[in-house]
Amino acid sequence: MLKVAIVGCGKIADAHASHIQRMDGCEIVGVCDRESLMAKQLYERFRVKRYFTDPTELLSQARPHVVHITTPPESHFDIARLCLEHGCHVYVEKPFTLCAEQAQRLVDLAYEKELKLTVGHNDQFSHVARRMRALVETGYLGGPPVHMESYYGYDLGDPRYARSLLGDRGHWVRRLPGKLLHNLISHGIARIAEFLTSDAPHVIAYGFVSPLLKGINESEIVDELRVIICEEERTTAYFTFSSQMRPSIHEFRIYGPKNGLVLDQDHDILIQLRGEKLKSYADKFVPPVLFAKQHLENLIKNARLFLASDFHMDSGMKYLIESFYRSISENAAVPIPYGEILRTARIMDTIFGQLRVGWSQAHWAFPTHPAPPEINERCAAVHSRTILASDS
Amino acid sequence: MNTQASNAASPERGSPPSDVARLATCDSFIIGSDDRILVTGATGFVGPRVVGCLLDRGFRNLVCFARPSSDLARIEASSNCRPLGARVEVLKGNLLSREDCEAACKDVAVIFHLAAGTGEKSFPDAFMNSAVTTRNLLDASLHCARLRRFVLVSSFAVYSNRQKSRLLEESCPIEEHPELRGEAYCFAKVRQEQILTEYGRSFGVPYVVVRPGSVYGPGKDGIIGRVGIGAFGIFVHLGGSNTIPLTYVDNCAEAIVLAGLVKGVESEVFNVVDDDLPSSREFLRLYKENVGHFKAVYLPHAASHALCYLWEKYSQWSNGQLPPIFTRRRWYAYWRKTRYSNQKLKARLGWTPKMPTAEGLRQSFQDRGRGRTYA
Repeated sequence: MLKVAIVGCGKIADAHASHIQRMDGCEIVGVCDRESLMAKQLYERFRVKRYFTDPTELLSQARPHVVHITTPPESHFDIARLCLEHGCHVYVEKPFTLCAEQAQRLVDLAYEKELKLTVGHNDQFSHVARRMRALVETGYLGGPPVHMESYYGYDLGDPRYARSLLGDRGHWVRRLPGKLLHNLISHGIARIAEFLTSDAPHVIAYGFVSPLLKGINESEIVDELRVIICEEERTTAYFTFSSQMRPSIHEFRIYGPKNGLVLDQDHDILIQLRGEKLKSYADKFVPPVLFAKQHLENLIKNARLFLASDFHMDSGMKYLIESFYRSISENAAVPIPYGEILRTARIMDTIFGQLRVGWSQAHWAFPTHPAPPEINERCAAVHSRTILASDS
Repeated sequence: MNTQASNAASPERGSPPSDVARLATCDSFIIGSDDRILVTGATGFVGPRVVGCLLDRGFRNLVCFARPSSDLARIEASSNCRPLGARVEVLKGNLLSREDCEAACKDVAVIFHLAAGTGEKSFPDAFMNSAVTTRNLLDASLHCARLRRFVLVSSFAVYSNRQKSRLLEESCPIEEHPELRGEAYCFAKVRQEQILTEYGRSFGVPYVVVRPGSVYGPGKDGIIGRVGIGAFGIFVHLGGSNTIPLTYVDNCAEAIVLAGLVKGVESEVFNVVDDDLPSSREFLRLYKENVGHFKAVYLPHAASHALCYLWEKYSQWSNGQLPPIFTRRRWYAYWRKTRYSNQKLKARLGWTPKMPTAEGLRQSFQDRGRGRTYA
C-alpha cells in the first residue's frame, strides 16, 4: 500500500484527494496546511487519517512514500526539497518551481536520493492527449515536428472577477517572477516542450496588459502573450496565451513533414490533418466528409468513455498520478521526463526575462520604428544570460 | 490595510440628529450612539443597507471593512445620507490577514459580520472565505475589551430541513454532514456557525446568529434556486406551490441591526423572512410579467426528488464523474414544501418588515428591467 500525503489544502488539493481515493493500492495518510482549519476541512471531507500544520511533522509522523505539493508556487521548491530529503517521492503542482535553477536543483536532488519527481502537467495525459501521443509515436507526422502551435486561453470573465483576482496588491500571484502568466502558461508551454529536444531553444516573447485590465487600472499583470520558439532552425512553435480571445481555447496543433494533428482539449477532440491533397474538386468535397467522420468518431469515443465512468473532467490528473505511482512501485521511467520539466522551466524563464526587459513591447508595438540599439543590446544580453544559465 | 475614508470633518448631509439620536440611545439597546461598530462585507448586497440602517438609527461611529478590490459606490451612497456628526470609516483589507482583523476590531463594541465566500463550486474557497475569516475576526475580537456583541449573518442554507413538521424555525436541526450535500456554501456556513458557537462557549464571546432566507431587492439579478434552475436553455421550475422564504434587503438589514443592538438576546438565533410570502409559482408568474417571458418547465416534487436520488447514486457509482450537486439533502433543503416563521424575530427584537412583499417585488422587478430573462 502506497502511503500518500498532501501538503497544501486549497482548491486543487480537492482534485488530488478525490483522484487518489479513487485509485487502488494507495491511501492518504495525512494532509497538511499551515492554516489548521484548512487542513482540518480536507481531513474531514475526505476522511483522511490525520492532519498537520507543519510539513516536517507530517513527514516524520505519517511517514508517507509520496507527497503531493499543492501549495502556492513560491513554496514548491522548499517543500519539495524537504520531502526529498525525508526520502519521499514528490508530485509538484504546476508551475514546478519559480525558475529553472530551482527545477534543476530538485532534479539533481531526486537523482542523488534515488527518488522520483513529477509535475502536474495533467492536460498532457487526458484521453485525447494520449491518443495524440500514440499517433505521433506511430510516425503519423512522417518525421520530427516541423511546427507546433499551442493556445492557452484564460477567461478572466467580467471585470468584477478580474477585480477580485487582481485587485489585491498582496496576492501571491503578483510575487511570482512571471505574475499571472507564471501560474498559468506551463500547461501550454509543456505541450511544446514535449516535442523539442534541445535544452534551451530560442525564445522571442511579446506580452502586454489587455484593455480589460487596463480599464480597471491594472498595469503590472500581463495577460496577453505571444511567443515564438525555435529549435536549431528545424522545429518552430508559436505559443499564445490570451485572456481576451474568444473562444477561450486550449488547443495544440502539431505539423510534421507528412501530416498534422489538432488536439482540442476543451472538447476532447483529436483531428487528423492529411498532408496529401486530392485531385481537383474532390479536394473540396471529400475532406469535409472525412472531417465529419472524424468528429463522429470522437463523439463515439467520448460517449464510450462516459458510459464506462472514465470521463471525469480532469481525467488527465488521475492518469498522471497512476503513472507516477506505477513508476515508483515498478521503478520504471517517470511519466514526464525530467528534461521536459527543465525545458519548460527554461522557456518560461526566458519569456519572463524578456517581458521584464520590455524589449518585446518596444519592438513589436512600434514595428515601423526599430527598438533603440541599447534596448536590443540589453535584450540580447539578458537572452544570452538566460541561455548560459540554462546550459550551466 | 488602507483607511479609505473618514467623514468626521466633512460637511454632512441628511436629516438632523434629534430623532435618530434618541433612537440610538434607546434603553433597549446594548450600546450608545458613539460606540464603535464594525461592519464586514460592507460593500456587498446587504452590507450598505446595514450601514444605512445604523446611520438612520443615529449611530455615529462606524467602520466598514471591505476588500481592496471592492467597489465603494454603494457604501458611499449609504454614508452620504449620514446624520450630523456621524463618522463612517472605510478600512480596506483582507479578513484572511490577522493584522487586518486586529486593526478592524480595535475598540469596537459590536461587530456585524456579513462577509462570506460564496464559492459555489469550490469547498476550500468557500470555507476559507467564510470559516477561516470568521475565526480570524473572532481571534481579533478577543483582544477587544469593549466588545458587546458579535453578530454573524449566516443563512437558511445551514438547515437540513428534515424535521417532521413542515414549519422551519430556529430550533430546527442544522445539517449534520454538510460535506455530503454537495454544496460548498452550506459546508462553509455550517462550519462558520460552529466556530462562532465554540468561541462563545470557550471564550465567552457574546454572539447572535442571524439566518436570512433569500434576500432580494434592486441590484440583485437572477432567480433563486428555490424557484428553479436553468439547464440547456430551459428553465426547470422546481418550487411549484412551495413558499419562497424571501426577505427584502432593507427588511433583512433592519433585522440584522436589531440583532446587534437589542438587549437580552445573547446566543440566540433569528430567522429572517418577510410576511405574505409568495409561492414559487406566483413568484415566477410575477417575474415573467414584469421582467420578461421565458420558457419554463415544471418538474413535480416527486420527480425532482427522484432525479436528485438518481443523480446522487450515479455520482457515487461513477466516482464523481458527475459531481454530487443534486442530492436528496439538497432537495430537502431547497425544494421540500416548507412553511416559515418570523415570530421570534418580531417577539424578541421588535422587528416588523417595513417593505411589504408585493411592493418589494415590484421594485425589484422594475430594477431588473423588461425584456430580460432569468439568466
